[in-house]
Amino acid sequence: MKQPSVRVRTHRAASPWLFLIPGLGVIAAFNLYPFLTTVRKAFTDARTLTPGSWVGLRNFQDMLDDDQFWVALRNSGLYVLLVVPFTVLLPLLLALLVHKRLPGVTFFRSAFYTPVVASVVVVSLIWVWMLDDRGLINGILRFFGAGPVAFLGDEWLLLFSAMALTVWKGLGYYMIIYLAALADVPRELHEAAAVDGAGALRRFVSVTVPALRSTMVLVGALSSVAAFKVFSEVYLLAGPTGGPAGQDTTLVMLVQRTGTGLSGRVGYASALSLVVFVIALLLMLLVLRADRKESAS
Amino acid sequence: MTRISGWEKALRYLLMLAVLGITVGPFLWQLSTSFKGASEDIYTYPPGFLPEHPTLGNYSGVADIIPVWDYALNSLKVALTNVVTNLVGASLAGYALARLRFRGRRLAGLAFVVALLVPLESVVIAQFTMMRDLHLNNTLTAVVLPGAVGALNVLLMRNAFANLPYEIEEAAVIDGANVWQRFLRIALPSVRGTLAVVAIFSFMGAWDDFLWPLIVLSDSDHFTLTVGLNYLHGTFQQNPRLVAAGTIVAVAPLIVLFACLQRYFFRGVGEGAVKG
Amino acid sequence: MPRSRRTAAAAPLLASALLLTACGSGGGSDGGAADGKAAGSITFQTWNLRSNFKDYFEGLVGEFEKQNPDVKVKWLDQPADNYAEKLSADAGGGTLPDVVNVSPDLSYPLAKAGILLNLDREKAAAKFKDEYTPEAWQGNTLPGLDGSYAFPWYLNTGPLFYNKALFRQAGLDPEKPPKNYDELFTTADALAKRSGGRTATLAGTPSIEDFGRYGVRLMNADATKFTYNEPKGVELLTKYKELYAHGGLDSQALTNTADQSGQKFLEQKVAINPGSAHDLDTFKKNAPGLYKELGITDAPNNTGKPNMYVMGLAVNKQSKHKAAAVALAHFITDRKNQEDFAHKVAVFPSTKGSLDDPYWTKDDGTDEGRVRVASAKMLKGAVNYTPVVLSEEMKVVLKNEVAKALQGRKSPQQALDDAVAQSDKLLKQS
Repeated sequence: MKQPSVRVRTHRAASPWLFLIPGLGVIAAFNLYPFLTTVRKAFTDARTLTPGSWVGLRNFQDMLDDDQFWVALRNSGLYVLLVVPFTVLLPLLLALLVHKRLPGVTFFRSAFYTPVVASVVVVSLIWVWMLDDRGLINGILRFFGAGPVAFLGDEWLLLFSAMALTVWKGLGYYMIIYLAALADVPRELHEAAAVDGAGALRRFVSVTVPALRSTMVLVGALSSVAAFKVFSEVYLLAGPTGGPAGQDTTLVMLVQRTGTGLSGRVGYASALSLVVFVIALLLMLLVLRADRKESAS
Repeated sequence: MTRISGWEKALRYLLMLAVLGITVGPFLWQLSTSFKGASEDIYTYPPGFLPEHPTLGNYSGVADIIPVWDYALNSLKVALTNVVTNLVGASLAGYALARLRFRGRRLAGLAFVVALLVPLESVVIAQFTMMRDLHLNNTLTAVVLPGAVGALNVLLMRNAFANLPYEIEEAAVIDGANVWQRFLRIALPSVRGTLAVVAIFSFMGAWDDFLWPLIVLSDSDHFTLTVGLNYLHGTFQQNPRLVAAGTIVAVAPLIVLFACLQRYFFRGVGEGAVKG
Repeated sequence: MPRSRRTAAAAPLLASALLLTACGSGGGSDGGAADGKAAGSITFQTWNLRSNFKDYFEGLVGEFEKQNPDVKVKWLDQPADNYAEKLSADAGGGTLPDVVNVSPDLSYPLAKAGILLNLDREKAAAKFKDEYTPEAWQGNTLPGLDGSYAFPWYLNTGPLFYNKALFRQAGLDPEKPPKNYDELFTTADALAKRSGGRTATLAGTPSIEDFGRYGVRLMNADATKFTYNEPKGVELLTKYKELYAHGGLDSQALTNTADQSGQKFLEQKVAINPGSAHDLDTFKKNAPGLYKELGITDAPNNTGKPNMYVMGLAVNKQSKHKAAAVALAHFITDRKNQEDFAHKVAVFPSTKGSLDDPYWTKDDGTDEGRVRVASAKMLKGAVNYTPVVLSEEMKVVLKNEVAKALQGRKSPQQALDDAVAQSDKLLKQS
């Protein structure tokens, strides 16, 4: 977050809150307030149809003994480490590729956006078809004389395939955030650099990246959180059981598995949710803080 | 505008074509399945890409099974309302967070970050109870309310306003413009790109949402398209062609919307740009 | 019917439901009386039947309203996905419809929370008991809850489908499908060997009902402890382990869902898949190539009792108009209406004597007729093997422990012991 160069004066107390009322009102009523219920339930043995009673920290103790929790924590953590660098950089490159006026570029942009709107179920069908033992990718491998790779049978290959799917789906999504930032950024900056005769790479490093810094940080924060809370891609590729013997289960999959259905263990699932929430919050604050420190220096 | 050499142009097109191949495949397959005739084997392996007996019958089939236009209209109402409320709510809040200085600003900012991270699945039941108490169950209003101002959109708008150079507003301050005038006349027009993103995201979010409308709506007359299309998965039989046709119907408006709004992503729109 | 009138009919109901929960959830008010005259506005919710049977149900409801002029029925239908979530929200919020379409695994938690009417304890409902087959009534009786909580509705069972072309390619006689478990395992071995590992026989790992059909005792008598780790269960899992090692199972068997298994069969990647009578239609429409080579045989079982799926109609205990709700639930599931419905789609009526009708006993020479008659015959004495107390989470536990055994991470005995221990723990918490 950039601090203003303090020339816009501080306002009379009322008007900033008038700006904030609609937004704060909605999230307070429909987001934050209901979440308090979740927080409270994390300390009970509530189930879907029974309110349960106070059990203190027992859900959190159970978590420590739950093998699946540690597997899930590992998988969700790996997801952040391996996915985020790609979801920050590739969409940026894509945005730079299509933000200039060229004949037909509007078509390409819309095309690049289709993975975002295509139904996840259909997308996963296609990916399964590509990654199958007799699928497209193995067909290509066979052409080069490489043996069939069981992408969908091995716990690690499944996890990596799901990560690739996440990056792929994120391409168009984060691309448009970057496109908007590129559109909003005053263009004089670029032009000045071009006049200086800076090459494409230097322009990228010395002009584009600094101008888009805060957007890159935002995308980094958003995609870290999204990666940590990954559900659909793994669920659809690895199946509801979380891959062979459950080894690909992620934290949110575990929340879903334990907490949904008519006999869901809502108390335990709420405790898991709370853990996911706290880690995600720390992750987000970490990314945003790292940015502030750097921009201060 | 910077000049592009022929060489660079060729490279750009080459790269764009390569990405095109990766991104549109699934969509085309969906499209193709939706045109496949009733006698075609759709489970051949590898899948046949082109329909042998192309037909539009699956689209009319969808309309026979579910009142697809009614559902689409419900979805459109919900999605457009969501766009309006988000544009207004998120830009106001984003502006205050980025540009106004007041006590409690950081706390307010944190509230939106926290809201962004709240796991929605875990609050659905509590939201449902709330709607019941407000006597809004089974109405489209209830579908819209929880997402009326998305925390993500607020953060996007804050980022966009924060990136504007302060000089832009200073002149207006000197002219004696008040905060609302500066917001409406100067700040908003400068962030059209991000406004377009917020519009797209909030339309898409409302249009695609499944679980919440399913929970809060009971009467199939009020269903939104995503919920209604779920009827195409029959209890006793599956027809993937109908499902494909249904998803195309659901996806098409999103692509059209994107195509319409993407011009706001070109630099120079609204600046009376001088062609270089 | 004009839309406004229907909404108007629902409004007082919604308000009453709100009042009800306002009086305090659970306990307290149990709604109106079940005996007495059927009157009032009620809601009736089915699960994903609107798309194909809209006219049928609107006709049915209209007829009921004609017979019971004091009752207004609002028919609701929920789509396929997340039905359990929808029921959770409604049950928790006190807005569950008066008559609800449930399967026993859904009715169990609802009944346990005191939301459904115990039909055996309610004279007005119990008097209809003799109209249904004992198996079907038993299928809706819930352990530990002292009664049946849903009027039996349609039943389902199915044969084993196999792919004759794949049999032929492997040099097996396509007219001699496996008849029991031993033959199934031998066939699978042969298929894998002779196709050089290219043709798997089954797409999935054994589910709880496989254990049941194999003759494994799944639970103790009062359904408080799981027992599928008994020697017979270990034996089945050991056989599957060999099968997996020899390439008899699909390479993604450890993760395939039932839907994905079905798809593998449609894509002709696996040779055998259990199914239901109504699958024939799917094969015919979506995979005509497979349909030409489709073989049909009885699903193997060691117990003499085939598996069946049971659907039912439960009555909301908090319903304001219980008499009307019971009357409607009985009306929909009475012999005539069940038989009508089963003529529309390949499911089976649960009313006594229905399956003796020539429609279900005389093979008319078509594939559908053959499967229908064979399935109807199987249904006599069929049971629902899946214990109603088995939650989705327990199914995941079993699937993942089975996978560990097949991968060789654990011995079959150890895996089943662990699965039973985890499931027992979950069961005790509930």
